[in-house]
Amino acid sequence: MHDIHDIEEAERLGRARSRIFSVLAVVFFAGQSMYFASSPETRDSHARVGAWLILVILMLLLLATGGFLLRGRKVRDLLNDEGSRLNRLASQALGFWVTVLSALALYVDSMFEPVSFNEGVHILVTLGVGAALISFAAREARAHRLG
Amino acid sequence: MAERLANRLRFEREFRGWTQAELAARVGVSRKTINTIENGVFIPSTLTALKIAESFERPVEYLFSVVED
Repeated sequence: MHDIHDIEEAERLGRARSRIFSVLAVVFFAGQSMYFASSPETRDSHARVGAWLILVILMLLLLATGGFLLRGRKVRDLLNDEGSRLNRLASQALGFWVTVLSALALYVDSMFEPVSFNEGVHILVTLGVGAALISFAAREARAHRLG
Repeated sequence: MAERLANRLRFEREFRGWTQAELAARVGVSRKTINTIENGVFIPSTLTALKIAESFERPVEYLFSVVED
């Protein structure tokens, strides 16, 4: 039998995680909207691309592990139990489909308007990772809310 | 015809006066997972279904059954 305090802590962290992931995804998409709205000359500064890259790696790490890596093993196992793992897999699958469909749309678009390799990768990774993160946050929030 | 997994978790839990968190602690999953199983949103693995049955001291086929909509 698990300690009820571990269950309560996992519950609290799980709710916080769905909120944090939602906010992170919104901030990520807002940042990328500003990136693509800016002029192509100033767009690809090392600082901007570096910030995007760090955020993407952080989001991928969160999606792969569920986050809270510094918490105790018991709480982390509860936080990432089979319900959460299934939500994560479904979100990763959605991210895959968003990426593939966006790649097809970009391919068609590139026939009319040239898209650089860097721009293409940036768009695909942003949409794929962002969609997966939002989907995971929404699924987890729904699971907490039911009842 | 569509089939779904029905369960008696809420009935058995409330009959014993347990909260979702208390059942979760007995089974070793999060409260959220108990919540989604009770509401039919999530179909548990065989392992979790057996652990739930063990917690209630009931056969697993009493707790879970296939119903047609």
